[in-house]
Amino acid sequence: MLRAGFGIAPWELDPLKNKPLSELVNQLFVDSEKYKEIKYLPYPLNEREQQEGAGGAKLVKLFFKSFAELEQLNEQWLYKMTHTQAVLREKLVFFWHNHFATSVNFGYLMQEQNNTIRRHALGNFGDLLHAIAKDPAMILYLNNHQNVKDNPNENFARELMELFTLGVGNYSEQDIKEAARAFTGWSLSNSGAYTFNKDKHDAGEKNFFGEKRNFSGEQIIDNLLKNKQTARFITTKIYKEFVNHEVNKGLIETLSDLFYNSNYHIETLMRAIFTASWFYDEQNIGTKIASPVELIVRFKKYFQLEFLKTKQLINYQKALGQVLFFPPNVAGWKGQTAWIDSASLLIRLSSISNINEEGRGMKLNAKPQFEEKFNEKRPDQGVQRLTANWDKILEWCTHKNDQQLCDFFIQTSTTSLDLNLLSNISTRDKVVRILTFPEFQLL
Amino acid sequence: MSKDRRTFLKTSALLSASILIPDFLKAFGSFTDPKDYRGKRLVVVQLSGGNDGLNCVIPYRNDLYFEARPGIALKEKNRIALTDEVALNANLLELADLYNAGYLSIINNVGYPNPNRSHFRSTDIWQSASHENEFLSTGWVGRFLDANCEKHAVKPHQAIELDDTLSLALKGEKVKGLAFHDPKILELAAKNRILEQIVRGQFHHDDAHVANFLHKSLRDTLQSADYVYGQSKRYKSQQNYPDTDFSQRMKNMAELICSGCETQIYYISLPGFDTHVGQLGAHGRVLRTFSKTMKSFCDDLKLNNQLDNTVILAFSEFGRRVKQNASKGTDHGTANNVYVIHGMLKKPGIYNEMPNLKDLDAGDLKFTVDFRQVYATLIENVLNGDASSILGEKFDTLKFL
Repeated sequence: MLRAGFGIAPWELDPLKNKPLSELVNQLFVDSEKYKEIKYLPYPLNEREQQEGAGGAKLVKLFFKSFAELEQLNEQWLYKMTHTQAVLREKLVFFWHNHFATSVNFGYLMQEQNNTIRRHALGNFGDLLHAIAKDPAMILYLNNHQNVKDNPNENFARELMELFTLGVGNYSEQDIKEAARAFTGWSLSNSGAYTFNKDKHDAGEKNFFGEKRNFSGEQIIDNLLKNKQTARFITTKIYKEFVNHEVNKGLIETLSDLFYNSNYHIETLMRAIFTASWFYDEQNIGTKIASPVELIVRFKKYFQLEFLKTKQLINYQKALGQVLFFPPNVAGWKGQTAWIDSASLLIRLSSISNINEEGRGMKLNAKPQFEEKFNEKRPDQGVQRLTANWDKILEWCTHKNDQQLCDFFIQTSTTSLDLNLLSNISTRDKVVRILTFPEFQLL
Repeated sequence: MSKDRRTFLKTSALLSASILIPDFLKAFGSFTDPKDYRGKRLVVVQLSGGNDGLNCVIPYRNDLYFEARPGIALKEKNRIALTDEVALNANLLELADLYNAGYLSIINNVGYPNPNRSHFRSTDIWQSASHENEFLSTGWVGRFLDANCEKHAVKPHQAIELDDTLSLALKGEKVKGLAFHDPKILELAAKNRILEQIVRGQFHHDDAHVANFLHKSLRDTLQSADYVYGQSKRYKSQQNYPDTDFSQRMKNMAELICSGCETQIYYISLPGFDTHVGQLGAHGRVLRTFSKTMKSFCDDLKLNNQLDNTVILAFSEFGRRVKQNASKGTDHGTANNVYVIHGMLKKPGIYNEMPNLKDLDAGDLKFTVDFRQVYATLIENVLNGDASSILGEKFDTLKFL
């Protein structure tokens, strides 16, 4: 549940205990069939503007509602991750959000990209890739609207091959140049939707991977999907995220064959992973360092953790090193040991102490935004007031021995832990200690 | 406090500590051997948001400067002439003093090819020392730490950022720097009783297991927090720092340097340089803070004979457009000047030619010095590292050191 979703509250786990594994895995997929999109931010143009087009400067003004909007969207998504039935779908939306890392200051466009990803999250990777290539936020982020016949911009073509499909070293600079030409004219309309600008498109012959044709952008993408390296690249990334950061080459080959032959059906690949016996081997459990978002959602599930202000939730994410909708760059968050430095580790490990004390003494003064005006005093973002509900979790824990508590909260084997640290203290203190163990950070 | 008394306190603190805190601190060499670090060190100040270098170092005989900036060009009373051609913004009064004392070198036109005008991206490029189309997840200081840890154990506090979160610049693959606002607050966070018990506890994992990495990181963090806090109490600055957040962090830094803290690299940011609107006032205020703080900082260092082995670099992720915008501000630009402060500069003053305002790239300054040349110079001359391997290729060093 932790590795295929965002964890589960212990009291919800008990009824599932007697069900066979195959049924549980199947239920994951069934639960993800139905889902709701995030419709928090309304479309920012009125009817007239939509028809006539709002025009450059006005359009920017309409879409640009400052960072606050993206921060609200962030909170909405965290809520969804915590409460949705479709946990596996949401986990994959989170995975693809990192794979197709995008960050533009247009809340509505980011929301729509998020919904596009959600639609295809368990479907066909080819469909997802085609949709993302025409996604307005992505077009803006990788400057494809500036990619025109007379002055090609290679940004999108480069990342398409380097980060989205083949991986570094599997294409030439020439391939990038030629592909960029095929994507000329892919742009945005005045209403903020994808549009093909025929006048700006270079319809001439392109020499892509040794094949000379007048490729369109769509054909370039299809061509990349035909290349088996794409299946291998995506499978490896999924394996690292869901199974183990240390890859097993034999398994990667088998899985990428399966993925490729299923015509990139993501559900097929995920089913194969979750039903494989090696997925449950000890060596594949408790080896991934949880991302900050996974950690926060876990706390939300166990303690109904809420911050008093959105800004504080964002600061907490910043201090931990991951803010939804603000990936560091198009390569996304690197993950695993890259999450950890002295400062972020202290914040991670003392999270539960802070939850225990409802934020008293927890001060996070993240770096200001670049755009913020000069302030002599760093605006005091104050104590992180938060609320947590201990009743349910304590009720469940009261009837459990130390071994059972560790078995639930910690993924590595109980024999690896120092259970002496749990003797002669209250149940609540036990929970605080167990969740301070560095092993709690592992999924 | 006399040296003897200090040593006594330290020893007695150690004695009691060694009973309470066994192995994990005993292995901690510098704690039992409190030799003051007096080697060379580097201080990097990031002027965050894109500093308008052209209104800091002013080509006051150049008509093009005044033509491009009718509303924000600095008039005579707002300038301090350094040479017949070049003046400083009057808000940089104390920097002018450093210039006259021969402690300041101004390097013009520093940048990189195909400049990126996004704050985030350009900051990443400067901090990771990457090419403009390359995405590195390690910083240049971090890679220096990585290279060093092949030779000996490197502790997080070998590189310190005076901030609550760690910047990419200080992140290596194997080693990462230590970020904190104030040593006291760091110590408070590390003094979590449960964390100390975990560090002393018995946890068993296979050597290669990632859990060991977390336990080791925790141990290193607590040790570094303890060490830094201990050092911070050994020297208290008597200088009059401005009452701003940045200045107080610089004061914390000066106290660590003067106490002999074994830190080779210090990193800090001063935000507030993104001056799109009505820039004269806002830019002036942030420059005042910068300049006054640097004076107090340099006074602290000089008083303790540390200015000769400390090199300070101040840079910004980009400069601003030559032409002012419609809101009496400036938009994101490209190449910019950087400032180097040091007690023993080989070439103080204006290091190279002023920007050529006739030969612009679509309204922006062209770079003539690659920022990685500046880094290479610092890595080789201050940190005694191998610049080519840290920067990924060979860059010609400059002659300011």
